[in-house]
Amino acid sequence: MSGHLRRVNAEPRWLRALLLGVGLGFLFFFLALPLLAVFVEAFAAGWTAYAGALNDPETRSAIGLTLFVALFVLPFNIVFGVAAAWAIAKFDFRGKSLLITLIDLPFAVSPVVVGLVFLLIFGAQGLFGPWLSAHDIKVVFALPGIIIVTLFITSPFVARELIPLMQSQGKEEEEAALSLGAGAWQMFRRVTLPNIKWGLLYGVILANARAMGEFGAVSVVSGHIRGETNTLPLHVEILYNEYNAVGAFASASVLALLALVTLLAKTIVEWRMRRENSMLSADLPAEKT
Amino acid sequence: MSIEIRAIGKRFGNFVALEDINLHIPTGELVALLGPSGCGKTTLLRIIAGMETADVGQVLFAGEETAHVHARDRKVGFVFQHYALFRHMSVFENVAFGLRVKARKVRPAEAEIHSRVMALLKLVQLDWLADRYPSQLSGGQRQRIALARALAVEPRVLLLDEPFGALDTQVRKELRRWLRRLHDEMQISSVFVTHDQEEALEVADRVVVMKQGRIEQIGSPDEVYSSPATPFVYQFLGNVNVFHSRVHGAWAEVAAERREDVPESAVTAFVRPHDIEIEHHPLTGGLEATVQEVHAIGPWVRVELAHASELIEVELTRERATILALAKGQQVWLKPRQIRVFAAPGKTMEEGGSGI
Repeated sequence: MSGHLRRVNAEPRWLRALLLGVGLGFLFFFLALPLLAVFVEAFAAGWTAYAGALNDPETRSAIGLTLFVALFVLPFNIVFGVAAAWAIAKFDFRGKSLLITLIDLPFAVSPVVVGLVFLLIFGAQGLFGPWLSAHDIKVVFALPGIIIVTLFITSPFVARELIPLMQSQGKEEEEAALSLGAGAWQMFRRVTLPNIKWGLLYGVILANARAMGEFGAVSVVSGHIRGETNTLPLHVEILYNEYNAVGAFASASVLALLALVTLLAKTIVEWRMRRENSMLSADLPAEKT
Repeated sequence: MSIEIRAIGKRFGNFVALEDINLHIPTGELVALLGPSGCGKTTLLRIIAGMETADVGQVLFAGEETAHVHARDRKVGFVFQHYALFRHMSVFENVAFGLRVKARKVRPAEAEIHSRVMALLKLVQLDWLADRYPSQLSGGQRQRIALARALAVEPRVLLLDEPFGALDTQVRKELRRWLRRLHDEMQISSVFVTHDQEEALEVADRVVVMKQGRIEQIGSPDEVYSSPATPFVYQFLGNVNVFHSRVHGAWAEVAAERREDVPESAVTAFVRPHDIEIEHHPLTGGLEATVQEVHAIGPWVRVELAHASELIEVELTRERATILALAKGQQVWLKPRQIRVFAAPGKTMEEGGSGI
């Protein structure tokens, strides 16, 4: 016998090594290294400097604002996403494809344009500007503006996640519930919601990650008022432009940590989804009579 | 409870799903809606259930108009082709669902729910599966659970949409008999949709044959099989040989002779494969044919014969085939036992039979 048996469908060794190398190299240089750099830079001046940078009132205010905005838009995203997915997956109506396209709009439009659009609508020279200032309501360069653009940017995530899921599940279970006498709310709570809960959570996590990380659109409408309308991503940029490397990277490390937590949550949800799916579709053919 | 369907019509865009459907189903009857896919049978079932609304016409339950009765208030048990069990609930919870969603005033106590669900599970002989999830059941078991679930709310009407369509032949046969027994015990009106003629003929009290949104024939299984009203019904219920008089003069003429008002060429004769006798000797009024293929299929022997370049199918019993000892290329004569003639296309003319 000479040499090893080779699987007939295996590619040559050099090709496998090359592809693997390219993949891992990319992963290292573009994902692992930057993440590492953030933490290295943040701790460059030691623990105390890091803690001090995070303890800065403006930084703390930026972290608070970012978390507040993310939490605030969450229920809206859930309601809109479930309602839109429900309508699209379970009903046929005129203009359905138009609605699907509209839901994708925030993905397609550049965030800066989104910011400008809302500036044009709510700004001082904008559509509702005079009316708003006459009633002393501040939207642009204030919290409401940040929330509105964040809502716009994050609105597709939940719906996008749920539409294919609900379409694949069909509407027979709902119809069965209906024929058994369930009311609309009972049908939703007892049948629809349990079937989509993991997909919903997944969409919420993605929307949340985007809400915390959004820069462009928020940057246009926020006004960068320190300690007031400065979100964490904006704060990082300001600090960096002021050559406050430790401050900038410390803030960035918080963002990165939030991202890692999100990733972890996403992985857990994905794992649960897979497990539940395999459990609920495993076949036990035994027919005992 | 009786169901009365009056002049129901339904369109989807330009597609006519149902047109002028009239049907009366008395209490306790088991009716099959039979037809090819796209004939509107499922749409009709869904209209009865209230899951679809008709464009025109009425559905009456026990003489009462149902137009304003919501699907959830119709007291209709609906069984889906793909079971539609709640996948995240155990078998027990699936069956209990209809009881749990009742308004608090009429909802049974937990102990009663338990005893009723277990009684239903016993009825479908699956009480040992109460804690399983739907995905852990076989197709036949799932459909039985779906039925138990539908029966839990004590429906006045049971509607089944291709209930056995997704099951193996063996399980299907067993469930058919079982459904028939269950229906007889329950004393409710049942309607089931199927495209399987054997299933419809075996299970139903009455068969409604549908085609392209219209009813072709309503009758007992024996009626629709042995005296089909239209060529479509003839062809849909079992195999059939079609003879056009121009080609197969000898047979079609026999039947057409008695109808002088119809030109011979406008006549089509239908003969079932098992209604044709094969002889080795020339027969008066017999067709001469050549044996092409002989297949033994279970209890039957199917013989394919060629007559004037057209194919004729004949089914013989094994005994008869043994006596005949047919061989490929052999010259034989065919004689119909039962022949039915339609003016082409459509209308019934006359039935002609000639015994052998």
